Order: sequence, then C-alpha cells, then structure tokens
Amino acid sequence: MNVREWALITFTILAQMSVGSFIVLGVVHYFVGKKSGEKQADELSDRALLAIGPVLALGMAASLLHLGNPLNAYKAVTNLGTSWLSREIFFGVLFAVAGAVFAVMQWKKIATFQIRNLVAILAAVIGVALVYSMAMVYMMPTRPGWNLVTTPLAFFTTTLLLGVLAMGAAFVANYWYVQSKNPGCASEQCVLLRDSLRWFAVASIVLLGFQFVLLPLWVALMAGPATASAAMLVGEFGGVFALRLAFVFLGAGVLGIFLFRAASSPGQEKVMGTVAYLAFALVLVGEVLGRFLFYATATHFGLQ
Amino acid sequence: MAKQLGFYFDATACIGCRACQVACKDKNDLVVGQTWRQVVEVSGGSWTAQENGTWATTAFAYYVSLGCQHCEKPSCVEVCPTGAMTKRADGIVVVNAEQCIGCRYCEWACPYGSPQFNEAKGVMTKCNFCEDYVAQGKKPACVDACVMRALDIGELADLRVKYGSVAQIDPLPAANLTRPSIVLTPHAKSSTHGDVKKLALDKGGMK
Repeated sequence: MNVREWALITFTILAQMSVGSFIVLGVVHYFVGKKSGEKQADELSDRALLAIGPVLALGMAASLLHLGNPLNAYKAVTNLGTSWLSREIFFGVLFAVAGAVFAVMQWKKIATFQIRNLVAILAAVIGVALVYSMAMVYMMPTRPGWNLVTTPLAFFTTTLLLGVLAMGAAFVANYWYVQSKNPGCASEQCVLLRDSLRWFAVASIVLLGFQFVLLPLWVALMAGPATASAAMLVGEFGGVFALRLAFVFLGAGVLGIFLFRAASSPGQEKVMGTVAYLAFALVLVGEVLGRFLFYATATHFGLQ
Repeated sequence: MAKQLGFYFDATACIGCRACQVACKDKNDLVVGQTWRQVVEVSGGSWTAQENGTWATTAFAYYVSLGCQHCEKPSCVEVCPTGAMTKRADGIVVVNAEQCIGCRYCEWACPYGSPQFNEAKGVMTKCNFCEDYVAQGKKPACVDACVMRALDIGELADLRVKYGSVAQIDPLPAANLTRPSIVLTPHAKSSTHGDVKKLALDKGGMK
C-alpha cells in the first residue's frame, strides 16, 4: 500500500458517498415534499445538498494523487470508446457539473419545482453511471479477484450505505443549526428529522444484510480464479477483514437499531443525533477498510 | 508496409544467459526495475524412489524470453484512458509519454508485464520493438544479442508459416486473451496451463 492506492481508496469512497447521498437526498425530498410541502422539504435537505459538492471535489482531487503525471490528467477522457477509466472520469466530471447546476438552482430556487426535479433526476442517473463505470474499471481478466459480479454489487451497496448514513449525520447537523437560529420553528422539522432517520435506520440495516451476503459470496467466488486473494483476505489481512466487518456491523446494524429506537421516541433527539453521527463514522471507517482490502488483496493473472 | 510484426522465440535453443535482456536494457537505457525484455526460468517435476533403490526424475527447466507481444488485441491500448498507448499500422504497440498520465491502468490490464512504470518520469514505458532499428532495416537489440539465435522477428504471418502457430506455453497466459503476436517453438517439457501460478518461476534476480 502506498500513496497511490490510498488516493484510489479516498477517491472511490468519497465519489460513491456523493452519489449515494445525492440519491438518498432526492428520495427524501420527494417523500417529505409530498407529505409536508416543498418548503419543509427544502428546509430539511437544502444544506445537506451543499455538503455533497465539497465531498465529491475532495475525492476527485485525491484521484489526481494516483497519477504519475497529473498535469496531463485532463487528457484522461479521450478514450471513451474502449476505456472504462475514461468513462469513469467522464461521468465523474459530468456528475459534478450536473450536481452543481442542480444545487445552485435548488439553493436560489431558479426555475420551477418540476424543472429542478428533472435536473436532479438527470444528475442521479449520471451518478449511477459513474458508480457503474467505477466498478467496470476493475472488471479485467488479468485481475481475477476483481473480475467478479460482486465488484459492481459491492460498489453500489457502499454507495447507498454511505449515502444513507452520511445524510443521516447531515440532517442531524442541519437540525441543530436550524434550532440554534430559531428555536421555535423546529418542531415540524423535528418530526420530519425523526421520520427520515427512522427510514435511514431501516435502510442501513437492510443494506448491512445485503453486504453480509456479498462478502462471503466474494470470498467464495475468489476460490478458483483468485485463490491467493481469498487466502490473503482471511489470512494475512484477516485482522483487518474482521475489523471491517465489526465496524460496519456495529455502525449499520447495532447503531441502526439504536437509531431506529431513538428516532421512534420523541424527546430523544440528543441521543438520536449522537447515534447518527457515530453510525456514520463507524460505517465510513468500515467501508474505507473494505476498500483497502479490495486493493490490498488483488492478484495479477499473468506475468508481472 | 508490414501488417503485423512479431517476435519468434525458440525455447529449445535458449540457455537462459539473459544477453537479450541486458542488450535491451543497454540499448534503451532502462533504469533499475525496468526490464522490457525478461527471461523467465520455468522449472518443475519431481524425484521418485524406485523399487531397486534408485531414483527416477521428471525434473526439468527451460527459459522463456519475452518482450512486449505487440498483441493483435492489446488490452493496454483498450484500457488506456488518454490514447497514449496505440497500435501502429505495422502492429507495433507504442506508448506516447507526452500523452501518458501515469495512471498505470495498462499495467493492470496486461497479462505479460509489458508496460512498466518509470517512477522518475511518472509515465509508462514499454518494449517498442526497437522501432528505430527496424526502420533502418536492422533487427532489435535483443535479437542480435542472442548467442543461441533463439530470437528473431518478422511478419507474423511469415513467422507462422515458418515455425507454426504456438503462442502459448507456460508461463504465458492463454493466448486468446490478447492474441499475442509471437511464435514459439516449445520446449519438450513445456505445457500450457495458461496460468503461471502453477509453476516455479525465476527471473534470476535481475532488475
């Protein structure tokens, strides 16, 4: 492991978290808007939306650190015809642009609600294309531990899991901010916050279940084409793998249950907020460790 | 104009002296860690006790000398995000350092270890078939350096007529992956697992 690989870990995790956050935010905004009106929905999610941009920008900046010659980086979108890496960067830039356009429109309330919705859906679709391209980059016969159906599935699971929990933490931060500025108006927001976090807790537990199917499946599929990778994962890196499982289990599972319970009982906002922060932090560490293992256990097919 | 140039290698003649590797390093002024041409020793077999108290052996060793295969379906060209890696009209695969961003994606994609990263320059480098020599009607440095005349170059179609169409012996991966432009005369003991991990390989510690 070196700077170059940490750059890739940082980029893939942050970019996937941005896409996941954007999608989760869109879904929440849609349902809250239907239930409580657009104004309340905006109040709940607008500030969280602005947090996504810097995360994506940080991730894309980190990706430059894995290049030997970063000054040429702008040329990396010129082989869209055959290179998934080109497509990844293309969709990354496109997602950043579409997301930024939507964020500005939403923040300044430019154009109608319907037009903004269309832009948001377009940005979300580009985000999905980005995560898919990110996965396809690793689908090569020469990298048998990656060239498995579990790679795209795991990338999308990480995307949604981090998206849900990042937005949970962002909503809590937003709520404290709204309350500090205007203590009275927060009650409706408080109900919406609790509703959202309850759903986030359910989603994170479901996604955790999915991940706990994917991980053993990955190990099983590696046996044969990438036995050495599987052996590294449970042998040399067994400790990190156990930590990775423990962090995600504690964050998304155990704290998910606590989060659901705290969000279900009015007056428990302080506990709920702390749990939401902690759950996000634990899952983020768990996912970073998971991505570290993805790179660290890779083996090459052929001569090197 | 050549359609697809390729290398020929005779595994029955090679003695593993690595003169080709050194000639390549010298001609292309390669830094430590870069070996555009590599000689790999492949060994295997075992000893079994016989009833009469003697031992029988199946032990064997042979060498394979490899530059870039200048594949007909080069995975490095396919994955390169900038188009720095290209296949010329004569089939030679070259990397343009001006275009390269040093993402090392081609290194992941190549099953022959051909694209190699130059840390100091931050870009990929690889065997270019000694294109300058070839343009002058000469042969690549590795070919001329071979004391056993185990290496040669030529139009791939001609090489196939002359030497057959074997393009895959251990330790080389399955030829259908990238369709390498190489013709091999296999060693008597060479097999074709298509997976190097099953054999003992030794690069002789040369960097």
